[in-house]
Amino acid sequence: MKGGIEEFLKTEKFEGYYEELIVELEKLNSKLHIFSNINKGLSTGLPFSVKDNICVKDVVSTASSQMLNGYTPPFNATAIERLPKEEFGFIGKTKMDEFGFGTFGINCKDHPLNPFDDRYVTGGSSAGSAVATAVLKHHISIAESTGGSISCPAAFCGIIGFTPTYGLVSRYGLIDYASSLDKIGVMGRSSADIRYVFDKIKGSDRYDTTCVDHPISKESRKKLVIIDQLMAGVDEEIASSFDRTIGKLQNIGYYVEHKSIPFIEKTIPAYYIASMAEASTNLAKFTGFKYGLKINDFSKGYNDFFTEARNNFGLEAKRRIVLGTFVRSSSVKSKYYEKALRLRHMMINALGVILKDGFIISPTMPIKTPTVKEAEDFDPVKEYSIDSITVPPNFAGLPHISFPSDYIKGMPVGTQIVANHFNDYALLDFVERWESQFEYRFKYNVGAL
Amino acid sequence: MKIGLEVHVALPTETKLFCSCSTNADEPNTSICPVCLGFPGSKPMLNDAALKSALTVAKALHCKINDNTYFLRKVYFYPDLPKSYQITQLDGAIGHGGYVDISKKRIRIRRVQLEEDPAKIIREDEYSLLDFNRSGIPLNEIVTEPDIETEEELREFVNELRSILYYAGVDINKEMKTDLNISLGEERVEIKNVTGIKNLVDAERFEVKRQGELISRNQKIPKETRAYNSETLSTISSREKESDEEYGFIYEPDLASYPTGDIVIPEVVIASDVARQLSSKYGLNEATVKELVMFDRHALGLVQYGLKRSNANRVINAIELLKRHGNITISDESFGKMLSYLDKGLLLNEDAIKSLQENRQVEIEKNTVSTKEIDKAILGIVAQRQDLVREYKTNSKAFNFIVGMLLKKYKVNPKYISERLAEVLKDKA
Ligand SMILES: [Zn+2]
Repeated sequence: MKGGIEEFLKTEKFEGYYEELIVELEKLNSKLHIFSNINKGLSTGLPFSVKDNICVKDVVSTASSQMLNGYTPPFNATAIERLPKEEFGFIGKTKMDEFGFGTFGINCKDHPLNPFDDRYVTGGSSAGSAVATAVLKHHISIAESTGGSISCPAAFCGIIGFTPTYGLVSRYGLIDYASSLDKIGVMGRSSADIRYVFDKIKGSDRYDTTCVDHPISKESRKKLVIIDQLMAGVDEEIASSFDRTIGKLQNIGYYVEHKSIPFIEKTIPAYYIASMAEASTNLAKFTGFKYGLKINDFSKGYNDFFTEARNNFGLEAKRRIVLGTFVRSSSVKSKYYEKALRLRHMMINALGVILKDGFIISPTMPIKTPTVKEAEDFDPVKEYSIDSITVPPNFAGLPHISFPSDYIKGMPVGTQIVANHFNDYALLDFVERWESQFEYRFKYNVGAL
Repeated sequence: MKIGLEVHVALPTETKLFCSCSTNADEPNTSICPVCLGFPGSKPMLNDAALKSALTVAKALHCKINDNTYFLRKVYFYPDLPKSYQITQLDGAIGHGGYVDISKKRIRIRRVQLEEDPAKIIREDEYSLLDFNRSGIPLNEIVTEPDIETEEELREFVNELRSILYYAGVDINKEMKTDLNISLGEERVEIKNVTGIKNLVDAERFEVKRQGELISRNQKIPKETRAYNSETLSTISSREKESDEEYGFIYEPDLASYPTGDIVIPEVVIASDVARQLSSKYGLNEATVKELVMFDRHALGLVQYGLKRSNANRVINAIELLKRHGNITISDESFGKMLSYLDKGLLLNEDAIKSLQENRQVEIEKNTVSTKEIDKAILGIVAQRQDLVREYKTNSKAFNFIVGMLLKKYKVNPKYISERLAEVLKDKA
């Protein structure tokens, strides 16, 4: 792929580049609410944005939560630290569903809006990162996915969202949602850009025990597997768009097989149990007196003090803390938390068999992009069920990419492709082939040469 | 009566359990970092030295070592706990199923686990202060089965455990915190966070009395958690029922599972076993040998070295002699020399001992005296001072006066002099 990051850095002289870019970006930001802060001091390098749950040294990092108001980490996340300063310039922190809790990107103050049509949601939780990628011509975003937080907004905003194999990118500096599921990934406008950045940030890190130096393969597959259960609830228009995408892929040499994993439907409850259990412990540290939001009234006992502080969590965060605390309590633990972990192993095994000689392909999201109004009316259980396709690879720690594959009435549609653990490069190769015969569309090109 | 203990001791590492902060800092809140303060974004990384040290203790307590050891989150809210969860272990702990032998029985060890210490709370009248220097210090928790049945066994067990910990490299002068589970009746009462050994025994004694009285009045002993107050020497109910404790344990997803198979775990000497064996082999007083070696690896080394060269009693006497002179620091070679002088019937004065400890030549003429000469001197005084000899039975001053006279002249082992004098006087009487 030509015209990538290296090409940009070679040709752009950065004379007045950022002055102009910042003006335009701020204008767009007041309309689409992409960033929680924009770095106006940038003068060179490819602009990169960072999801607000990833720490950037001396920059307020709140995971879009009131609880972390003003939290200024004294360190960089490893992924940020590894981006060479002479090549990359930090442009700002992007908004997200609070702590990553949300499918639509609307669980935060002044939530982002879809760049193709601002009546629609962006998808979440890496909402601002997806919008930033959709509006900036030359840019990448460091985002994060726990259960689909990269794929979903990538699909709704018409960009590429890459979630690597769990453990390939250090989580040091990530404000945790569910540590055993959280993966830092990359959003961009081309597979080449994503590959370039992935190569810089991956690899073991002494500060994150769960991060490994594993060889990454590029074993291409011609077989694309459709798991029937995942197609069950898919919207008709999305389904026929997906058929067209499959047709195009067949034209360039891929073939399709159908497979069935009956228990895959249990993934949603199992994922939510496991992730909420972990989230409720990760969020326990927010008690309002060491960092972020500080309560300065020390007249009460500790129990009252922290209870009051924790009132500042948003509704969805409270829901997940309460449910997560319940599912790991001793009387029901074996029924929920432990069962969920067993199902996760079953899922890893079942998907692993399929991925030995194929990729798993599906629409990224089972629904068309909802409007903000529609999304607000979803009840939580329905909202969770919308993640049915993005959750399985996330739950199993498998690498996956959502790439733009179609446009329905001007709104982008994404397709998700999943590979076996550590076969990340094969996915990027696959998307590169797709790009050779499909043209991505963007409404904005801020910072175009 | 059934007593079970949960003993917490700090492991001897340079740095904390999950970060590289020093474990030695005086000024409050100077040895801290994002990890041990629980900053959002930070992650724990396991200190290999702490793992090895915990394994050493577990093996010394005869535990089965788990092939893979892993961690859990124990969630509760308290101001000293930065993450509002403690990284600890349960199943998947370092070791389980061990034991400690005391004189008449075996106390089973249920589990040895590795965990992080919370911060230190310093309570003032109106407020409390927190010192996070302690947050993340590696702790070993040693959990026994409820096999202890008397106060004597409790004392003996704690002494034995401390000796093992000492030989495993743990600094036993650091505060030891114990949760004491004690039941005279059906229900178990837990006394949390008892510091030190004296308090532990006092708490046990109070609780035995309290529960005993309840039983004699036919009252039920409620299952509860109590706290020990070292000023009133009593325990009071913490008003929290054990059944209310809900820690919501989950696996610690920020850490891996750690294989233990390739870690070389040092053998730890069980000093009381060695003392027992030596005593029976050489006909020594077991209590005397234990007293010397339980908390002194150098003394144990000297005993083992000396017994290959000299008479067992003489070896013990020589070490006691060194001890009386202040410290037992001496090279094996000089200790061998010392034994050879004693073998020849020479008594060593302070200068002689000092010379030996400093690996210098001993001036035989000036600094030693033969036992024969002492005997002669004793007989001389006894003959001259009949007044004192008559008095010595009723007046201990008279005896001490004679010893003092002799010591002034010879500056040698007072033990030898008083023993010999007592023998001579007994004969004369
Ligand atoms: Zn630290």
